[in-house]
Amino acid sequence: MSDKFDAIVVGAGPAGCATACKLARAGLEVLVVERGKFPGAKNMTGGVIYGPVLDSLFPGAPGDIPVERAIGRHVICLLSDRSSVSLDFNMAGSGDRNGYTVLRSRFDRWLANKVEEAGGIVAAGLRADDLLWQGQRVVGITAGGDEFRADAVIAADGVNSTMATKAGLRVNLSPENVNQGVKEVIGLPREAIEERFGLTSDSGAAIHFLGFCTRGVHGGGFLYTNKESLSLGVVVQLKALMESNLKSVDLLESFKEHPTVREYIRGGTTVEYSAHLVPAGGLRMVPRLFTDGLLVAGDAAALVLATGRALEGINFAVASGIAAAETVLKAKERNDFSKESLSVYEKLLADSFVLQDLKTFREAPRFLENQRLYQTYPELACKLAEEVFRVDGKPKKKLWQLARQEMKGRVSIWQLLRDGLSARSSL
Amino acid sequence: MNIIVCIKQILDPEMPPVKFKIDAQAKKVIAPEGIPLVISPFDEQAVEAALRIKDAQEAKVTAITMGGQSAKDAVKHVLAMGVDEGIVLSDEAFNGSDSFSTAYVLSQAIQKAGEYDLILCGRQAADWDAGQVGSIVAEELGIPVVTLARKVDATGGTVRVERVIPDGHEVVEAPLPAVVTVSSELGQARLPTGRGIVMAARKSIPVWSAQDIGCDVSRVGAGAARSEVVALTLPIHERKGEIVSGETGAQAAVNLALKLRENRII
Ligand SMILES: Cc1cc2nc3c(=O)[nH]c(=O)nc-3n(C[C@H](O)[C@H](O)[C@H](O)COP(=O)(O)OP(=O)(O)OC[C@H]3O[C@@H](n4cnc5c(N)ncnc54)[C@H](O)[C@@H]3O)c2cc1C
Repeated sequence: MSDKFDAIVVGAGPAGCATACKLARAGLEVLVVERGKFPGAKNMTGGVIYGPVLDSLFPGAPGDIPVERAIGRHVICLLSDRSSVSLDFNMAGSGDRNGYTVLRSRFDRWLANKVEEAGGIVAAGLRADDLLWQGQRVVGITAGGDEFRADAVIAADGVNSTMATKAGLRVNLSPENVNQGVKEVIGLPREAIEERFGLTSDSGAAIHFLGFCTRGVHGGGFLYTNKESLSLGVVVQLKALMESNLKSVDLLESFKEHPTVREYIRGGTTVEYSAHLVPAGGLRMVPRLFTDGLLVAGDAAALVLATGRALEGINFAVASGIAAAETVLKAKERNDFSKESLSVYEKLLADSFVLQDLKTFREAPRFLENQRLYQTYPELACKLAEEVFRVDGKPKKKLWQLARQEMKGRVSIWQLLRDGLSARSSL
Repeated sequence: MNIIVCIKQILDPEMPPVKFKIDAQAKKVIAPEGIPLVISPFDEQAVEAALRIKDAQEAKVTAITMGGQSAKDAVKHVLAMGVDEGIVLSDEAFNGSDSFSTAYVLSQAIQKAGEYDLILCGRQAADWDAGQVGSIVAEELGIPVVTLARKVDATGGTVRVERVIPDGHEVVEAPLPAVVTVSSELGQARLPTGRGIVMAARKSIPVWSAQDIGCDVSRVGAGAARSEVVALTLPIHERKGEIVSGETGAQAAVNLALKLRENRII
């Protein structure tokens, strides 16, 4: 067997599989190495793939993609310790959908199968340990004690990317630019889900929470509907978590006990528990994306959009994976895998939503450092709603009077204005 | 030398006990979602026995498994260990097969696979622990069987087996072709190498149906089972705690000793 491939992809997540699929379809010899026993074995995500990013690889998507539900209802929910206020965008009945929920172990496996169908080789249970160098150029990897060579290596090995680190492209993660997520998949009968969330048989809901779900710690909660289960989790900034002396497991536990959430998950049984890191530093955290013989894609390159509401990582991973493949194909035509030749990659990303969105929201991470987002404002909203909706036989006040009353001791009008302006410029 | 190894995928014995669920009514084990099956450890050791023979001489090792959707994963794993070929036997008709019909299916496949000198199986599958398949395969093929091997050497038309017995081992020789079932005393199975994993990922694995191997369908599946599960229950684990105390540490120790004696533990 020849151990030389056209391309070696490290990691069979969405980024790696997208790259490999595109390369294999173009007839290149591609090897994907994945450390999990099977693709997706240990991977986790919240669960929503946003936008049409899969369409270009799999026309007619969702087609046979193992998606759980198509999102027809988006909710933003602010939590105090005992009540909630929501903004509910519901198009479930209209037939319009945007995004799908997925479960990784199934989804990643399916993606990897597509790579194999296209002629790519997916070697699961094999961890890439190091890069192979020839001078300044990456010429392959070592894995399982053996060497594998390729014209191009694509580091799609996720948030902790050893490959990008070994290539000297990025620095190690730091607690302020990475979030920790913990999630439970809670099994519930299909009918119960559809009834509780007001869904039709193919539609799903995505609910994002702010406030008590993280007990005031910088972060948020999410609840997504699958076919016969719910994905419920919290995502918190590692630095804030460490400073709070709380554990994310405990946050998840108290989140589950919240009266609003408790009703959603009532009678369910936890079938899966997982924890994972996710890049959260925005554009500032994005490392150099390529060097001689190497490209970095997906979480490995910190290509995740976090705006405080949803997390968009899978679509960024797939889009960057496709761009990496296009770059390798161009380099192959020229038979030149040098830095200069691979710089096409950055141009492709800069022309697409990947770098453009990160640029648009480059100030978001700084804005999200604002502590008031996670305690003061959700509580204020809940209190205000409580006052507005309460009829207690006493003379009523106008909304503005109520607002002033509830703001007292919580936040000054100037702070509120400043935060508002800052939100306007960063979100 | 042509060596065939029969392997079976089972529920992961290391999985958390809470995930283990049964349907007592249907007398069936409910497969837990999200936990991949593993190769029965004895079968992995049977593969190891084959590879040790192959290390020492020219040999071709073929693995055969009967199973469902994930059976290919088992075959891939042993290909990565160094096995040359793998075959999956899969057919709705096989569902519910007991040891007898499983052995029949395997022996049909072995005959179709070509010439064979040595057939290796695990001593028993680590799920139901029946330990019958190896012997029945030998019966079906009309060849000798040696069970519970801790060492297997095959040369010049005979197989020499160190066979585990309660107080040591005995050495048994049989003419080839023969079936040998392998016990855990053989030692650890090897881990796949990087190159092995990539090579395995490249191999295509044929899937044979009942028809492909010329099975008489009246001899396979639940309908043909000769054994019957009378009842299936989960063991109940009871934990009882008692704190033995005393005025001093020494006294507490004496009380503990007395208690253990009372309960005939020491
Ligand atoms: C709690 C949480 C919720 C999220 N919610 C969403 C959401 O709703 N929507 C969304 O779009 N995004 C979400 N994300 C982000 C999203 O999951 C990631 O951005 C996405 O999975 C990145 O894909 P990837 O292919 O780059 O990396 P990964 O999915 O992490 O895949 C990397 C792969 O590489 C493998 N690997 C790593 N190192 C090696 C090695 N040395 N050798 C071989 N293999 C290796 C890993 O096993 C893994 O399979 C969420 C993330 C978290 C943590």
